[in-house]
Amino acid sequence: MSYQDTYSESQVILTAVKIIAPFTLTYGLFMTFHGADTPGGSFQGGAIIGVTVLMLAFAFGIEPTREWLRNAVLVGLVAGGVAVFIGVGLAAMALGGNFLEYDRFFEVWGIRQKWGMEAIEIGGIALIVAGVVITLFFATAAGFTPTRTDGRGEDE
Amino acid sequence: MSAVAYTLVVFVLLTAVATALFRDVLSAIVVFGAYSLGMAILYTFLLAPDVAMTEAAIGAGVTTILLLLTIARTSRPSSDRIFERVNVPALVVCGAFLVVMLATVLPATEAVGDPEAIAWANPEVTGYYIENTYEDTGVQNAVTAVLAAYRGFDTFGEAVVVFAAGVATLLVLGREVFA
Repeated sequence: MSYQDTYSESQVILTAVKIIAPFTLTYGLFMTFHGADTPGGSFQGGAIIGVTVLMLAFAFGIEPTREWLRNAVLVGLVAGGVAVFIGVGLAAMALGGNFLEYDRFFEVWGIRQKWGMEAIEIGGIALIVAGVVITLFFATAAGFTPTRTDGRGEDE
Repeated sequence: MSAVAYTLVVFVLLTAVATALFRDVLSAIVVFGAYSLGMAILYTFLLAPDVAMTEAAIGAGVTTILLLLTIARTSRPSSDRIFERVNVPALVVCGAFLVVMLATVLPATEAVGDPEAIAWANPEVTGYYIENTYEDTGVQNAVTAVLAAYRGFDTFGEAVVVFAAGVATLLVLGREVFA
């Protein structure tokens, strides 16, 4: 399947992104999963994961990437992140504590406080930030097709 | 602060002024990205790696890309002049204001890392976090503990604000671009 929107003529961008993207994705995931014990956290990690997708879109074309990551998937990610955050907070209330009182998980289920925080960091904030960054990018870029040097793409 | 940090301060100031003065929007955006990168490195010198990472990812990365996309869809007026014309009376007023503010604020500012600084003068709050974070929450990064545990409800509000902003943007733009 070939797309009109692919930057096929720019070998520099394509090669650079192919090399860098695995490292940025790994770095973003590391920061998200390791934010409790090292600098960084899910906000920064989620932003870096989102930027990785933006890089892929720059290299492989914005429209093909947007078809690959449909709007419904992105909105689902963001809404799911908010739902996880609310869910953890309300679960602590259901167990008789205050909103986000992780101590209740330890007292009732034996889950250490740390895992409650990891749940809202990884399952909540990282998803929200990554999803919103990608959504904003596609909303700004939708319908935008760069003009080719040979004139292709002008009438799309 | 080391000589490298002072060089960074000069770099950040120069790029900030250049961002305001460049007439070509594309040049201004590129210089603004350099400004954000300089700020990110400066934050690491000020021992704030969490803020530095946010500045590098959001300020230098996402903001630059979104601004580039925005001007790519507008027209770029061509001009011979590189810099904007400076309004001299306004510059004098703003410069005088800046000098007065700096002369007032700088003498009262503590050195970076000063243990007697006002930030440490409230041991009930900051000292409590630093001493009890690991026992209370089991995580080693006090910033994460404050954000996710001690101030978890505030963070929840921030996350919902980001969510609401994203959804609102989709709703506004969606009618035009995804139709």
